[in-house]
Amino acid sequence: MRVNAMQPNKLQSIYLSIALAFICLLLPWSGFSLTVRPDFMLLVIIFWLIRAPNLCNVGTAWFVGLLVDLATGGIFGQYALAYTVTAFFSTSYQRRLVLYSEIQQLFYVGLLLIISQIILLIIKTFSGGQFIGWIYFLPSITGVLLWFLAVLFGLDIGARARDD
Amino acid sequence: MARRFNNRIEQQAPAFFVRGPSAFARLAFFSALSLVLMVADSRLQYLTSVRQSLQTLLHPLQLLANTPSQLYRDAGEYFSAHDYLLKENRQLKQSVLKQDIELQKLNTLALENEHLRQLLQANKSMARSSVAAEIMHVGRDLFSRKVMINRGETHKINAGEAVVDAAGVIGQVTRTYPLSSEVTLITDKSLAIPIQIERNGLRAIAFGHGRDSTLDLPYLPANVDIKRGDRLVTSGIDGVYPTGLAVATVSQIVVTPDSPFARIVCIPTGGVENHRQVLVVSIPHLAELAESQSVTQQESKSTDTKSAVKILPVKVQKKPTAALSGNAGKRHAAE
Repeated sequence: MRVNAMQPNKLQSIYLSIALAFICLLLPWSGFSLTVRPDFMLLVIIFWLIRAPNLCNVGTAWFVGLLVDLATGGIFGQYALAYTVTAFFSTSYQRRLVLYSEIQQLFYVGLLLIISQIILLIIKTFSGGQFIGWIYFLPSITGVLLWFLAVLFGLDIGARARDD
Repeated sequence: MARRFNNRIEQQAPAFFVRGPSAFARLAFFSALSLVLMVADSRLQYLTSVRQSLQTLLHPLQLLANTPSQLYRDAGEYFSAHDYLLKENRQLKQSVLKQDIELQKLNTLALENEHLRQLLQANKSMARSSVAAEIMHVGRDLFSRKVMINRGETHKINAGEAVVDAAGVIGQVTRTYPLSSEVTLITDKSLAIPIQIERNGLRAIAFGHGRDSTLDLPYLPANVDIKRGDRLVTSGIDGVYPTGLAVATVSQIVVTPDSPFARIVCIPTGGVENHRQVLVVSIPHLAELAESQSVTQQESKSTDTKSAVKILPVKVQKKPTAALSGNAGKRHAAE
């Protein structure tokens, strides 16, 4: 019952959090801050995919990926593809994931971030880009740190499963 | 414990039914859709107008996101020390004075040049209009070197125009949106710029290196007459960049015995990464171009297409500069 009552509110909070993440993405990052900038949009999407899989699915991730494509100005559809595949992996283990400990979840999120970066790397290398070195994977690490901070401040991914 | 478990099952049950198509089906569908989009964008260039209109919708959001840093900068400027401003003002006055004197000389020289050109019956050099712009933010893709500037189609900016700052060339407009445009920097791997060594007039093409902020001069023989510290300026034969703008300085020449070519590394002169104010220099109008130069119909047609802007025909203005370096001219003809 409580879950049903919360649903309209939750859909709004999904949109709100995506909008906030998008503004974070649009901030004028440059230089070193650009290389360590975590992938805010993907983090938000992974969070909602695990927490509310009935409201947020692979299609949502694809749409959010398109938004990122628009903002980054690269080939249209590369982030969409990366987010779609990542979203698939996060939904396929979602039911097991909510039972994991927070540390285990942290590792899993890190893995998902790296998967999306690898897919993007493949696409960019095929379209003529040049691998910029291992610092390319820094955003995954900062992303995990951001997730860790969020967990410390009380963000609970398994809230639905544990909420009795 | 058992009750807790049952509870969980009950809560999860509804989620089972609202899920719709399986995650794998969605994955297949949306991946295919993204692949189609990628092909349509990169190979067929179908999505330019879609991107433009969506980018316009995003513009207010972008301005909103830029506000904090803008406010921070404004506040910094507001509180900046009085004597700093005085000092800057003095410096600016001095440089204006210097430039005024130079300008007077330039006027005489321009007249003289015009006269000499008439005597030689050579082509007239074109006056170009320019638009001042400010860099809004650096491109978000780590794989390319791009910046966004705050002038777009409404300010009559076209793709292909050269972007310069006080110190030299910094790049070329590659995509325009109604209120902003994307500038690819000369250090980007995909940008090539026709240059000339200032010292001996040798012509070559400089390519961005991509990874670090340098330029490469590839395909020059190991015994080429280039020294460290040579200045590279735009040759102007592409019709995009005005002639004689500083581009880069040669910083390193590596000759390896196993390669017939020298590896020449140059450092850009313009503040590719650190200036905010830039100038967008327009390409002379094609009609003017046809009028003032005897360009064949075919060549002007190929300059007409937007996509061909990057590789403008090199022959357009060849006559006046051909005398500069017969040697290099031959090499380019071979290429």
